[in-house]
Amino acid sequence: MSFDSRSATIVALAAAAVLAAALLDESALSVYVLLTLTASVTVGVSLLMGHAGQVSLGHGAFYACGAYAAGLLSTHGFPTWLGLLIAPLASAAVATIVGVPLLILRGHHLAFATLALHLIFLSLISELSITGGDVGLQGIPRLSLAGITLTSVRSYAYLSCTALLLVVVVAQNILSSRPGRALRALSSSEVAAASSGVAVGYYKLAMFALSAGFAGLAGGVYAFYMGYLAPGSFPVMLSIEYIVMAAVGGLGKVSGAVVGSAVVFLLVHGLSRVATLSGMPSTAPIILSYAVYAVLLVSAVLVLPGGLMGLAARAAARVRARARYKNGGQAETPPAVGPDNPVAPEQVAPKHGSFS
Amino acid sequence: MNAFLSYLIHGISLGCGFALIASGIIIIYRVTRVVNLAQGMFAVVAGFSAASLLDIGLPHVLAESAAIGVSSAVAVFTGYVAVGKRGTTPQQSLIVTLGVGIFGYAVEVLIWGDQPRSFAGLAGSYELFGVDVPKQYLLIAPITLLVFALLELFFERTYAGKAMTACASNPYAAALQGIGVVRMSLYGFGLGGALGGVAGVLLTPLHPISYDSDVSLFVNGFAAAILAGLKRPVLALAGGLLLGVAESMVAGYSKASYQSALALLLTLAILIVQATRRETLHAVEES
Repeated sequence: MSFDSRSATIVALAAAAVLAAALLDESALSVYVLLTLTASVTVGVSLLMGHAGQVSLGHGAFYACGAYAAGLLSTHGFPTWLGLLIAPLASAAVATIVGVPLLILRGHHLAFATLALHLIFLSLISELSITGGDVGLQGIPRLSLAGITLTSVRSYAYLSCTALLLVVVVAQNILSSRPGRALRALSSSEVAAASSGVAVGYYKLAMFALSAGFAGLAGGVYAFYMGYLAPGSFPVMLSIEYIVMAAVGGLGKVSGAVVGSAVVFLLVHGLSRVATLSGMPSTAPIILSYAVYAVLLVSAVLVLPGGLMGLAARAAARVRARARYKNGGQAETPPAVGPDNPVAPEQVAPKHGSFS
Repeated sequence: MNAFLSYLIHGISLGCGFALIASGIIIIYRVTRVVNLAQGMFAVVAGFSAASLLDIGLPHVLAESAAIGVSSAVAVFTGYVAVGKRGTTPQQSLIVTLGVGIFGYAVEVLIWGDQPRSFAGLAGSYELFGVDVPKQYLLIAPITLLVFALLELFFERTYAGKAMTACASNPYAAALQGIGVVRMSLYGFGLGGALGGVAGVLLTPLHPISYDSDVSLFVNGFAAAILAGLKRPVLALAGGLLLGVAESMVAGYSKASYQSALALLLTLAILIVQATRRETLHAVEES
């Protein structure tokens, strides 16, 4: 995909997202807000797993960290816009500080360490009196930007949509620049990347902090949207949901993260609506949502390693191959190697987008 | 002094449970190079099954044994999904065990509901140095020791045990000797599930468990396994006891909610120190 068609896609998607925020009704909008916030976190998780090769079972903690940062600042008399600004910075700062020792670990050790991080963070916020303990943080004011106070669900839909677009544009720009190529090299072989002059540790830490920043931004919006925060809103399952969505969409792809979160979120939401119909047992919603997450995660890893975007790419390649065959077997010229595209991505990362 | 003693006994019982879960994690890890995130789920399944089987009137030892059988079968299924497919990398398998663990949530809530459950273990208590000690606590340590002795015998004296050790040290060479590596992996999962099940049936009478208790069981079990260096199941006994007693003391003398956070911090510190000490070796091994 050339850069221009990629920006065209982003513009089209952005228009669709804004249109959806303008047209949906109230009840659909609340789903929309949570969906776009979840997608913003998933983009970071997907990049982290797909490019830096790190499995994080703790991004729910960074989401919570951003939410609490925004909530605490605005309940202590600071302007709310400052809270929203600090939220991603606070999460990124925490990620940088804990990332220095944590990112020495790899693979399952890192997965455990991030899970531990989430659990420690949960016990911290349920113990500290400043965060309101188990009861939670209440009375967070509505967000005011330039004298306008956002009160309606629709205004938060625009806000969360803006947050997601910001995340997508930043992520897309990073991927198509030098750091992105370094990360791709790093994801296939750290040793090879290091010997080619990629500062492996620096890039891994930067990616970790960036993805935490995305999560913090989403958390900040969540705090103002909900108006109250409690440790119970950020269970360990939250961190796992991001992994499921990233894996379903296809790891390492921004579009995959957005598509994956949309598909999984809407599927789980739709099923839970079915499960709350009369005649269903009261536990039906949790049973169905756990089953859906589990089945999607296992099948995404085992059956569909590239995720939905990988599937789409293979289908597109097949269509192109068929068209080529009809045109008399003329081989399509590979994309030219130039300043915009120094090395074909396939050459750098053979297993791009898969685990390992 | 009395308080100290009762915390100590509580800690030892808790530590035995952690050690059993840890040994399951280690056995599965040695054979398959996969950290089984569903390990806590096995204990929960066994605890729930034992409670149900006792409810329908099975006598005590029989119900617990059947429950351990159930968790072992669940573990073999987990193993089949996680490592049964050719060419699955350990990191993929890690995520798959996570998925199976969540699927376990769905099944557990479907069968047993979302409320915590428990069952009565050994009734009554003994008086020991002036402390009332419930009999169930005194049951845990001897059973755990017996299980670990049997494990040692299994790995030292039986063909299957030696074959599993061979797979752990070099799967390629083991395969050349005619050992079915995938089958041994499934045996590993079955054994790991049984060990998780023993922990589940022993610990459930002490604290009611709910379907999501598996997170804390796994985290503590993995912490004990890390203390043991993920190498020998017997070392996990020491790791588990250390962790159990430390947590019990923190919970007793400080605040109960700090106990797991402290264990986690301790484990993280050990992991990081270990990783910095053998950074280069580690990198070679993983890639």
